[in-house]
Parts: sequence; C-alpha cells; structure tokens
Amino acid sequence: MKLSRFLLPTATLAAVALLSGCAAGGAGAGKPAATLDSAAKVSGEITVWSWDTAAAGLKRLGAEYQKSHPGTTVNVVDVGYDNAYDKLSVGLQAGSGLPDVVTIETDRAPGYISEFPNGFADLTPVLGDKKADFDPSKWSAGSNADGKLMVAPWDSGTVALFYRSDYLADAGVDPASLNTWDDLVAAGEKIKKATGHTLMSIDVSSGFTFAMMLQQQGQGLFDSDGKIAITSPESVKALTLLKEMNDKGLIKNVKGWDGRVTATKDGDSAVHPEAVWWIGTLTSEMPELAGKFGVVPLPAFTEGGARTSNNGGSNLAIPAQAKNPDLAASFISYALADADNQVSLMKNEGLFPSYLPALKNGFFQQADPYFGGQKVYQLFAQETANIPSITVTSDNAKALDIVANAVVASVINGDDPKKTLDNAAKQIATATGRKIAD
Amino acid sequence: MTVSDVRLRSQAAASGRRRPRALGRRIQRPGVYFALPAIVLFAIFFAYPLVSSLWQSLTATSAGVTRFVGLDQYVRLFADPLIGKSLFNAGILLVIQVPLMMALAVGLAYLLNQSWLRFRSGFRVLHFLPAVTTLVAYSVVFRVMLATDGGAINQMIGLVGIAPVDWLNNETWARVALIASITWRWTGYNMVIILAGLQAIPAELYEAARMDGAGRWTIFSKIVIPQLRPVLLFTGITSTIGALQLFDENFILTGGGPSDATLTPVLYLYKVGFRQFDFGYASAIAWLLVALTALIAFVQFRITREKS
Amino acid sequence: MTDTVAARPASTPLSPQPGRPSALSTDDAPNAPWGPRLLRGIRHLPVYLVLAVGSIVSLIPFLWMIIASTHRTSELFGTPLPLLPGGELMENLARLQAETNFGRVMVNSLGLAVAYTVFSSIVSMMAGYGLAKFRFRGRGVVLGLILVTMMIPMQVLLVPLFQMMASLGWIDSYQAVILPFVASAFGIFLMRQSFLDFPDSLIESARIDGANEFRTFYRIVLPVARPQIAALVIYTFMTQWNAFIWPLLMLNTEDKYTVPVALNTMIGLSRIDYSGLMLGSLIATLPLLVLFLIFQRQFIAGLLGGAVKG
Repeated sequence: MKLSRFLLPTATLAAVALLSGCAAGGAGAGKPAATLDSAAKVSGEITVWSWDTAAAGLKRLGAEYQKSHPGTTVNVVDVGYDNAYDKLSVGLQAGSGLPDVVTIETDRAPGYISEFPNGFADLTPVLGDKKADFDPSKWSAGSNADGKLMVAPWDSGTVALFYRSDYLADAGVDPASLNTWDDLVAAGEKIKKATGHTLMSIDVSSGFTFAMMLQQQGQGLFDSDGKIAITSPESVKALTLLKEMNDKGLIKNVKGWDGRVTATKDGDSAVHPEAVWWIGTLTSEMPELAGKFGVVPLPAFTEGGARTSNNGGSNLAIPAQAKNPDLAASFISYALADADNQVSLMKNEGLFPSYLPALKNGFFQQADPYFGGQKVYQLFAQETANIPSITVTSDNAKALDIVANAVVASVINGDDPKKTLDNAAKQIATATGRKIAD
Repeated sequence: MTVSDVRLRSQAAASGRRRPRALGRRIQRPGVYFALPAIVLFAIFFAYPLVSSLWQSLTATSAGVTRFVGLDQYVRLFADPLIGKSLFNAGILLVIQVPLMMALAVGLAYLLNQSWLRFRSGFRVLHFLPAVTTLVAYSVVFRVMLATDGGAINQMIGLVGIAPVDWLNNETWARVALIASITWRWTGYNMVIILAGLQAIPAELYEAARMDGAGRWTIFSKIVIPQLRPVLLFTGITSTIGALQLFDENFILTGGGPSDATLTPVLYLYKVGFRQFDFGYASAIAWLLVALTALIAFVQFRITREKS
Repeated sequence: MTDTVAARPASTPLSPQPGRPSALSTDDAPNAPWGPRLLRGIRHLPVYLVLAVGSIVSLIPFLWMIIASTHRTSELFGTPLPLLPGGELMENLARLQAETNFGRVMVNSLGLAVAYTVFSSIVSMMAGYGLAKFRFRGRGVVLGLILVTMMIPMQVLLVPLFQMMASLGWIDSYQAVILPFVASAFGIFLMRQSFLDFPDSLIESARIDGANEFRTFYRIVLPVARPQIAALVIYTFMTQWNAFIWPLLMLNTEDKYTVPVALNTMIGLSRIDYSGLMLGSLIATLPLLVLFLIFQRQFIAGLLGGAVKG
C-alpha cells in the first residue's frame, strides 16, 4: 500500500487549499477604514494598546471616560514598548489581530503611514478642526501625503539644553551666553580646562544627535520631494560640528540608554541636549543631583535660528481593522484634545503635551526645585510651538542606519564630513532607489 | 543470553530463507505510522507559511502596493553589500565560535565523566545555568557588564592592569563580545547532551579495549569519538544552524552594530521585514540562507559519514 | 569493573587494580612511591580547577542579577558598583507582582511548557524512531524536509503563520501558542540520532518473540534511551519556557502572558526597570533548574535499572 507516498502531498494540498482564502486577504492590503463620524453615539467596548507610564495614564483616563460615558468600556493593555512594533507590523501586514487604538512614536509613524496607506483611519473628521491647537511638527509628521491626519499627536519631545550649573559656574561660563553652537564649543573648551569635564556625553553610533541637529535646521534626512538631503550644507555643518567637538576632546562617546544614564549620574559632562522627558529620568534616577541642573534653549546654528528640535514623543492611531472606530475616536479626542486631561497626564505620568492650550495651565509656570527653582516647563512650553517641521519618509529607518555609520566614520574615525555624507547618500540611493537632492 | 548470541540467531534466521519483498516492506511500514503525527503537523503548520514566504520572495511591496517581480529580489541580493557583510559575520561565527564551543563542550563533558569526580551534579548544574536564563535578562546583563565605563568586565580586567576595552563601540571587540556571550550561553547546554551520549556508551566497549591493552588516547579516538558520532553530529549541525541563524543575542546586545560589524543575515532580514516593511526582500534573504545552510549541513553529513 | 558513570554510581569503591590504569580516567601513577592516593589527588587538581573556573564564569552574570534584584534600579549605575546584595528584595518583588501579575504569569508559563513538552516529546520520540529504524519509501524526503524546516529562520514564517492563526480565530489563545511548533525538527533530529545506534538485533528479537511494533518501542527501546530522552525533555521544556516572539505576537491579554513576554514589558521606552527585570528573570530560572535536577537523577536511575547488560 502506498499510503505514505500520498500522505505528505495530500496533507499539504489540503492545508494550502483550506487556508488559501486568507492568503488572498493578507500581504498588506486589507479593506480601508470606515469613515469616522465625530457626532456618532458611542457605546460598546474598545481595546487600547500602549506601554509603560503611557499605558498607566490611559488606564486612568479610561476609567474616567467610562464614568462620563455610560455604556462604554475601555480596556487598556500594556503590551510593553520593546516589541509593540512587531505586533503592530505583523498585525498591519496580516490585516487582523490589532486593537481599536494603538500607540506609535512620532519617528516611527511616517513609516507606517506610507507603507500601509489603508492601515489607519483618517482622523480629520474628528480632530481636523483642532489643527492649530497642536505642535505643528507633530501634526505634519502624523499626516499622510494628502494632508489627512492618520495619527493623533500625544506627547512632545521638545529638546533643550540641560546643563550642570555647578560646572558652568566653576568655569565662569554664563548659561545665558550660549546662543550659538560656536558659543557652546568655546564654552566647552573653557569648561574642560577649568574642570576637566567633557562637554557632552552622547551615543555617537545612534546618529540621534546628528538627526536632531538636522531637524533644528529645519531639515530631515529627506527633503519635501522625497529626495535624499544629507549632502546639504546644513548636514555638512552639523557633522563638521560633531567632528570638531570630538577632535577637541569635548565629546564622551557612550553606548545606549544605560550609557547616557550612567554618564549623567557620574557627572561626566557639562551639558546634555535632550528632550523634555529627560526630566523624569533625572528626578527618579538621580535624586541626589537635585539643584545642580539648569535648562536653556538649544544654541542656534545661526543667529535668530530655531533653538529647539524634537526627539521622541508618541501618538495614538486607529487601525483600519478596529471593531469600534467611533468609540476609539471619541476616546482619543477625550485624552489628547482636552487641556485638563493633558495636564493630568503631565502631572501623573510626566508626558509633556503637544496640545498647546494645555501648556497655558498654571502647572507649567511652576518653579522646579530640582532645577534650582527654574521654571523649566515654561521654557519647554514656549519652545514646543517653535519645533521645525521636517519630512519623514518610509525609508527613514534604512537611511538612519546608513547615516549613523557615516557619523561614526567621520566623528570617531576622522573621515572628512563632506566625503562621508556623499558616500552615505550614494548608499542610501542604492538601497532605496531615491535620488539625491542637489 | 549475550548481545552477540542474539545477533547470531537473527542472522541465522534471515539467511535460512529468502524474504519475499512484500514481507520486507511490511516490516518497514510502521516507520510511517511512527512518523505520521510529525508529518501531519508539519504539513499543516509549515506548508502554508513556507509556500507563502516563497511566494512573497517573488514580490516587492512599496507604499502598500504589492507587485510580482519575479526573481528581482534575488538579483538584489547580489548587489547588496549588507548581504555580503552579514554572511561574512555569520562565517566568522561558524569558523570561530562553533568549533570553540564544541571543543569546550566535549572537553567539559569528558572531565565530568571521570569516575572519581565528586560534586558532578553540582558542576553539571552550574555549567547548565547559562542556558536556562531568559534571553532578555542575559542580554541586558551582558550589555550592562560590557559597558565601557564602569561595566563589570572592564572593572575586572582593570584589577589585573588591563586598560578598559570599548567592547560595544569597537568593531573587533564587539565581535569578540558576541562570540563570548554565545559561547557562555550554550556551552553547558551542549555539554549536557554530549555527556548523555558519553554515558550511553556501553561499558563492555571500554572493558574490551582495556583487555586489548589500549591506552587512554587510543580509547578516546577509537571508541569514544566514534560512539559519540551521532551526538556530535547533532550538536555540530544544530550549533552550525544556530550560528547561521543568529538573531537573539546580537539583536539585544549590539543591534547589529557598530557599523554592522555584528549584523547577521537573520537580523538583517528582520530589519528589512519589520522596520522597512519589505517582506518580499526579507523572504528572499531567508531562502538564500536556507540554501546555504542546507549546503553546509549536507557537507557536514558527508564528512562525518565518510570517516566511518 | 568499569570506569564510566553509565554502569555504576560514583559512590562504590572503584580503586583501579594496582598496575592497571583505568580506561578513561586521568589516573596514571598508581605506583608512585609515596602512595597512590596523594598523587592521584594532585593529578585530579587541574581537573577540578578547570571545572571551578567554568563554574565561576557561568555564575558571574547571575551574581549581577542577584545584586540587581536586591537594589533599587537607580542604585545600580554609577561607580562604584554595589558588590553585595542590598535590602530591596521585598520591594522589588512587590512591584514585580503589582506590575505584571507575576504569580499568574509563572503559572501560565508552567502550564504551557508542560503541555508542550508532553505533546512535542511524544511526537519527536515517535518520529525519531520511525526515521531511524525503518527504511520506508520517502524516508529520505521526509528527513530532508524536516531538516529544511529547521533551516528556515522563524522570522520569515511569522506573518503567514499569524495570518493562519487569525483566520482560525485563534489569536490570543493558548493552542495557537503551542500547536504550530509541536512538531520540532530539533527534537526529531535529536531522537533520530539517539536511536540510530540502538542495536537492531534487540528489535529483531522482540519482533520474533511476537511483540508488536509499538510495544517494542515502548518497552525495549525507550528505557535504554533514557539519557537522551531526558535531554529531549529538558530541551523541549526550556524551548517553550523561554519562547518569546511567538507568544508575544499571539497573546493580547495581560493575564495570559508568559514569563518572557511579561518580563519584556519591563523594558520601557525611556527606562528599564532593571531590578524588577532581574528579579523576575531569576525566579523564572527556578522551574528550569528543578526540572534539570530531577532529570539528572532520573536518567541515572534508569540506566542502573534497565541498561543493556552484557
């Protein structure tokens, strides 16, 4: 009997035939989302995915929402930050498995929006009229090519310059005098001579500082036409600046998040350009350093130029496959476009609003003892409205990898910045098929 | 009744009459039934994903649109410098890490098998411990221990006067760190399997060899190694596949860096698929890897078979 | 008299005959003038040294984990490193339980790992035996295909497998977590290699005596393969216990999470809860250790009872 011969092929055919239905349904397509109706009556249940303190905040607000909207249930699940994106990518690709609301960071959102144009619901019907109330850079990062809002801005990563007031005082440097990067470099040399401390501790291989400097100059890795922009004069300026700082011994190269935390705790460097959420880390992990820090806006590249940038921050989005999109939209609006709720997220979870009306709340006018009585939040609140908007494309992840290598090549290995950037641009062109801007 | 008696009896029975072909096949057929559950499970849960990934490797996706592109993704493999780099890195692991780990595992198993050894259980457990930690925990611990400033490793070598090493920021040292962490994790695990193989070697073989006056080394090379061949082949091939498919350790420890020095093919395909959403290219990379792995495994099979 | 553990427990007096070095041990000089015992002890020292070094190397990261579990995260970075356990164990434990419902998570992992081990081991043992001892038509093909599945990186199968689970409505279910991987190429391969050297004559004689195939398998072959089966059980349990990506994708309810998934939620966006993470990881290693210890004893006992005796 030749049973064994037929067994494997038969089982295979059966399996494939049985499941070929979902094969057609997969691979990234999927039905477009329902049109949201801001006036719809909300009821039923939604599931929300988030992580960390963000999840804690949403759980809290979810409970309050349920009280004020009887007949609704809001389930918030902490899926953990580290691999939330795997779940999101697989769910979008497979066309199922996602909840009603997902959390996506600002630098990841454009990639998802362009790769899965039908993956999310258009939030314009619900939030469109509030466009002027949000941080402009986050609104544009969250919109698709047609200008429709796909992910709603949540917390901001407004960047400023944290400094050790004691080191600057010892070296006789006035923080108010750090108006341009050249001023900062000169100050760095003074500080090094007087105190022996380096100027900044950064993770060179992550490429983040370079990207931050680019955004400060109003530019991303790609220009508004989607062409590769890293050969621009602004890019060369930023990379040359980093290289110079390292050549002068002003940079301490550390690895990853732990490296930065350790360096700060050990008091290695005098300044740290970082986003507003760094405050949370300082106060919780380095309470012993209270009173030794201050904050000023980033030094500008040119006189009168932007003195801030963005690093981080998240958004909320509704996947097209959501089962209860109207309730989801209502909850998002409740959490993100409400001044009181945004302030409560700031007070309880340290999430800095990108919803500008919230920033007018008295909370942001307080003096913070950790910063020697400085009204740090006021500074960040003022700068949030000034964050330059940039273009982020679906190839940003790929490009950032290549750019990060270039940054290391130039800053650490000493290669010429312009040449390195030209090479990197060529590599990106090969990898993505895009053209280099001239 | 001795083993050899039984052998003689069944040989006598077999040579006494010619076996009809049907009878021979009937005796072999139960093999199918034994293997059936596995075959069915593979058919159901692997057939579709395999076919699907093969299909996907013939497509390209951008901005949500998937088109059939034939072998374009495979052609792209040859032009992609990162493919070469990741294969090179995997090759380094294959040529350095696997033999190192196997030698250590065999050596340790051999030592643990000594009859006079005390605390055997204790040693065995201690060496097995690394394999038992959750991946997340051990990668995080290693990353912290390998920190350039104040990391435990640098502090320890500082005690003997060596300058701190920039483990995770230097291309060569990052590779060393990766090899060290993989070896740390899996040596004990392989040792346990090899030890099980050692302990299954029938005592009579040693007896007979010693009666023939064989010395320590002769016994090791003529009896132990050949008896261990199936187990060595198993651990050898699985370690090889593990090296070629390395993902977990370098994903958390180095993220593939610095400058892609620790980028392995699977980590690359993960980035391509899950960060750049190009599942077609990711599938092509995967199938390239399958072809290479199959080739190497085939070579390993043949080499070990020829030795006997 | 032999020198391998296979035949005798280590406690029986096993002194080699004078003048005859034991086959596999490093004992080499029983005839030295100042007594075989002392010299033997000195010869043994390097071996113990090597094993001690290996043990210490294996242990070092665990030491840091213990230190981390008993301190607050903020105390862990910054020089000098704390070298002794601190006093935060209870606080860290309470926080671990509060944030991840760790007790429940451990139970989930335990149940899944046991179920998976039972099913997968049975499938692997049977398939390994069938592929090792029988020459049926298509065997080579089956073996080849199984090896191929071992060579496919799992990452590339994730999306299609996910789609399959979604269409079956099995997302967020336990069967989806274990069923697709019950057939394990590694397990089958290990069992096959283990059974290859099993003497065919014993199987033959059992057949001649009239035992059916399954009985032969169960009564004659399995008992002898106990060391390898023990290794299989340990391997299988460990694989499921530490399984991460697939349970992460499948499970959407916090109460259903397994240990690695729950622990990973402690790796936050801007900070990692090291103390909680390390404590959870340490606790998570305990069941594996217990399993390992149990099976160490088991297979030694099995060998004493049912080993092939000449």
